[in-house]
Amino acid sequence: MGSLFRSEPMCLAQLFLQSGTAYECLSALGEKGLVQFRDLNQNVSSFQRKFVGEVKRCEELERILAYLAQEIHRADIPLPEGETSPPAPPLKQVLEMQEQLQKLEVELREVTGNKEKLRRNLLELIEYTHMLRVTKTFVHRSVEFEPSYEEFPSLDSDSLLDYSSMQRLGAKLGFVSGLIHQGKVEALERMLWRVCKGYTIVTYAELDEALEDPETGEVIKWYVFLISFWGEQIGHKVKKICDCYHCHVYPYPSTAEERREIQEGLSTRIQDLYTVLHKTEDYLRQVLSKAAESVYSRAVQVKKMKAIYHMLNMCSLDVTNKCLIAEVWCPEADLPGLRCALEDGSRESGASVTSFMNTIPTKETPPTLIRTNKFTEGFQNIVDAYGVGCYREVNPALFSIITFPFLFAVMFGDLGHGFVMFLFALLLVVNENHPRMSQPQEILGMFFNGRYILLLMGLFSVYTGLIYNDCFSKSLNLFGSGWNVSAMYSASHPPAERGRRVLWNDSVVRHSHVLQLDPSVPGVFQGPYPLGIDPIWNLATNRLTFLNSFKMKMAVILGIIHMTFGVVLGIFNHVHFRKKFNIYLVTVPELLFLLCMFGYLIFMIIYKWLVYSADTSRAAPSILIEFINMFLFPSAPTSGLYAGQEHVQRLLLAVTALAVPVLFLGKPLFLLWLHNGRSCFGVSRSGYTLVRKDSEEEVSLMGSQDIEGGSTVLEDGCREVTSEEFNFGEILMTQVIHSIEYCLGCISNTASYLRLWALSLAHAQLSDVLWAMLMRVGLRVDKTYGVLLLLPVMALFAVLTIFILLLMEGLSAFLHAIRLHWVEFQNKFYVGAGTKFVPFSFRRLSWKFSDNGA
Amino acid sequence: MLGSAELSFNVDHGYLEGLVRGCKAGLLTQQDYLNLVQCETLEDLKVHLQTTDYGNFLADQTNPLTVSKIDMEMRKKLCGEFEYFRNHSLEPLSTFFTYMTCGYMIDNVVLLLSGALQKKSVRDLLGRCHPLGRFSEMEAVNIAETPSDLFHAVLVETPLAPFFQDCMSENTLDELNIEVLRNKLYKSYLEAFHNFCKDHGDVTAEVMCPILEFEADRRAFIITLNSFGTELSRDAREALYPTCGRLGPEGLRLLAQAEDFEQMKRVADHYEVYKPLLEAVGDGSAGKSLEDVFYEQEVKMNVLAFSRQFHCGVFYAYTKLREQEMRNVVWIAECISQRHRTKINSYIPIL
Repeated sequence: MGSLFRSEPMCLAQLFLQSGTAYECLSALGEKGLVQFRDLNQNVSSFQRKFVGEVKRCEELERILAYLAQEIHRADIPLPEGETSPPAPPLKQVLEMQEQLQKLEVELREVTGNKEKLRRNLLELIEYTHMLRVTKTFVHRSVEFEPSYEEFPSLDSDSLLDYSSMQRLGAKLGFVSGLIHQGKVEALERMLWRVCKGYTIVTYAELDEALEDPETGEVIKWYVFLISFWGEQIGHKVKKICDCYHCHVYPYPSTAEERREIQEGLSTRIQDLYTVLHKTEDYLRQVLSKAAESVYSRAVQVKKMKAIYHMLNMCSLDVTNKCLIAEVWCPEADLPGLRCALEDGSRESGASVTSFMNTIPTKETPPTLIRTNKFTEGFQNIVDAYGVGCYREVNPALFSIITFPFLFAVMFGDLGHGFVMFLFALLLVVNENHPRMSQPQEILGMFFNGRYILLLMGLFSVYTGLIYNDCFSKSLNLFGSGWNVSAMYSASHPPAERGRRVLWNDSVVRHSHVLQLDPSVPGVFQGPYPLGIDPIWNLATNRLTFLNSFKMKMAVILGIIHMTFGVVLGIFNHVHFRKKFNIYLVTVPELLFLLCMFGYLIFMIIYKWLVYSADTSRAAPSILIEFINMFLFPSAPTSGLYAGQEHVQRLLLAVTALAVPVLFLGKPLFLLWLHNGRSCFGVSRSGYTLVRKDSEEEVSLMGSQDIEGGSTVLEDGCREVTSEEFNFGEILMTQVIHSIEYCLGCISNTASYLRLWALSLAHAQLSDVLWAMLMRVGLRVDKTYGVLLLLPVMALFAVLTIFILLLMEGLSAFLHAIRLHWVEFQNKFYVGAGTKFVPFSFRRLSWKFSDNGA
Repeated sequence: MLGSAELSFNVDHGYLEGLVRGCKAGLLTQQDYLNLVQCETLEDLKVHLQTTDYGNFLADQTNPLTVSKIDMEMRKKLCGEFEYFRNHSLEPLSTFFTYMTCGYMIDNVVLLLSGALQKKSVRDLLGRCHPLGRFSEMEAVNIAETPSDLFHAVLVETPLAPFFQDCMSENTLDELNIEVLRNKLYKSYLEAFHNFCKDHGDVTAEVMCPILEFEADRRAFIITLNSFGTELSRDAREALYPTCGRLGPEGLRLLAQAEDFEQMKRVADHYEVYKPLLEAVGDGSAGKSLEDVFYEQEVKMNVLAFSRQFHCGVFYAYTKLREQEMRNVVWIAECISQRHRTKINSYIPIL
């Protein structure tokens, strides 16, 4: 309990790391994860730190490893991910590793480069064959079209000259053919038309096979085109345009014979290339699969090394340059472990002088460490989501373990639903070591992390379900009802009774729509049901009224107890932080304020429950009216709950009213008095504080002496803390704001706890509606069809129960329970302004290849 | 139309505006520049850039690192962001983006043309083209021999086509003509962009118009400065001035008469905005160059664009600021690699 009640005591330790052993020591520390390093070089920019060269080398190694991993991934070789994590490499091995990796990278780049070249060649040849195949069909067509060429230019009068001169010069048709991207065909055609003014004919056809684009590696559709043109000039332009659109241009064979020859040559070359490519790929695979064995462990090693250098960058250098000085936060309990790790590290490196540490006193606030286990982790997370606790502050997570599932269950009170939830959580808990559970998906992961919370929530819901006597909205009659209907019949009573009370006879039973049981008739009410609500209420028409009254009062009682508990927890903080005056000046007035108003309300509720019976219930006063009258002082005297009520209430009100000014002014005035040298009164207490103050000064003095050789930053910090200005106005303002918040909060928070009632009501009603709309309909159908109908109805009922009642309602109750803890409970005592203890630990590094950034 | 931007802007462009504001927050801060300036080698620069929003954008570059590699990767990053914006944009923002790219397209076309004149290989030139101004017909530019050829053959289908109306002369393309062509294209481009923003109305007009007016005037000043001592006649010079700027017809006419820097300064004296700018220009090594002064003013205006909401100007401003940042980083990187540290501090801070 000790570790969960308050965070662990921390101390600031200075590590003197001999420069030869620093790396090994940190490696040992990283494996254990005991300490949090403080950055001693905050105002040194990242590239001016000492070990920046080593960090750069690590980054270079990471780059190579990422490249290897990428290549291995591309070759579809599985990358084995070892379970064990190898320790950070010894410095001697690092160079060796770097050399190996660099050699491997060079080799790999060469091989893959060759492979790419071969592939590109192959692709070109394939493209060429495709082009030849497709353009063969063009030729016939172009021959057919040939006569129209001659006529075509004559349409343009001025180009006639060109045409004739070309003929005279013996210019013949030129051809450019090749492949082009699907999307660029139209643009190419338009551009050709515009530039060459129609002196070209473009024919193209889609290639039925999708080929790889050598530039992007994408597999896309290609078009084969054939441009026919006249003359050299236009030919140049056409070629330039083809370049512009990144066409793959291949020489166009002029005769059919040439075409056949080329095709044959191509097919043999393709065959050859295939075999070479296969050989290269095999070799590449060998290299890669050999590399794949060690890539993972090496990546882990490099990451660890980089982490170590990052930490070393936070250390400052000794004056003599012989050792590094690191400042760390370490839990006091782990100091032996820290010493041990330092010795191990020194021994491993074989240095003559071992690294050592000493603790230094400090006035700075250490980080907060609360050790959790798998059970308490979830609850601690709920608290941490609100705010990480201050150092050594009372930790509400400990109490949340019980109060959180309980408040949830009050809102989720249903035996059946609770049991289903319990079973689900139990399933998760039993299978928690299952490998698939360790890396769950997003939503399942949320459930998995909160499995113990769910387990307790389910258990408590079973309990409250028993109290509410609700199981899928139906009541269980376990012990037999305490009410007896037959006793209402007039026949069972002596005649004297019959005159006084409304009793039943056959005609009454037959003719009246609603019958009322009267508990004051002897024999009708035989005593309370042993556990929770009597099941007979399930049949009553005024069930809701009865339950509402019960749940509302219960909500207020629970809420006020919860809040009072919160205020009381504040005392532990005040005692621990040696601020006893806070107990008298803050906590006690707060408690008085709360209890005199709302504590009295609880008293009235319970008093009324106990004192008034069925016979006297008509004379019972309304608690609401009584409570309001407590503040309004009505002129006419009311009946009241008990004799002397008025005086008691006046007294309580007076105490409440007195508590407010104490709350507002007590602490600031006391602090002012302390500051002014407590000149007036109180000898014994002032003596105590005097001693306290002295010892504080002593500590700070010691601190500044001790660290003189160390960092100057810390020294400044010390002075800053000790020479805090006394600002009366600020203290007063803070206290006034706090008090106003508290006084108003008491009222609004009490009202806020009514959500317990509201949500519990909503849950009960919703499950009731579901039963009435589905199951009752299903059960009413007569036997023959009923069997067929009940199956889907049951299924639907189950699905709706799980999704609406368990998931949706459960979520809403969960959120409200969180809110009640964060706002109503924790603001009574919890500051939550601390920082979390983040140890330097290799376990916190991520071993994934994908996020090798940062 | 008053207030309609507030009601409807976010429906279509809210996501992108949020993104671009997030991106703007990733611009290098003054502290970053102070750290960059302290770098000893380009490797240091890389290490520091890793701690900023650039992340490990240089991680895949093998050694040795050069300035041009840094420049290219930075451009690639900006281009990636811009493409993302553009692909997710709706009208009228997508037209706005098209207008933004036109400026770069003009530069690319001119670069390719002049490269073709000097018989450089297209592949080399393509590497030097700005990636934001890339278009598929770009590589065919060197087919053309006259501007009208260029227009009819290549640029008809590009967004640049409407800007060509003024420059359909039959001249052959030589060095001077290309410069003239560039300036004419720019003139009509700026005017068209200005009109578009004005027609768009709302906050976009309020933010973009001053920026474009400034851009127009800057071009006018620069053209004037560059034409001193060339054979460009005054009338020809005046024809190149974009007319949408603050200088208006009167200022431009005066500017066309200017013969040297002093006369140009006297023209600027009539304008409240430009007077302090030209006065800040020093001569020789001591003062700042006219370009730097204009850049500073531009940065100021672009940063101000972020103080308004619900307009397209943030995208323009962001791109320009990023570009300025890239120029700064490249400047610092050049100074580092050439061991020329005395002028390393004359980058233009982005506030």
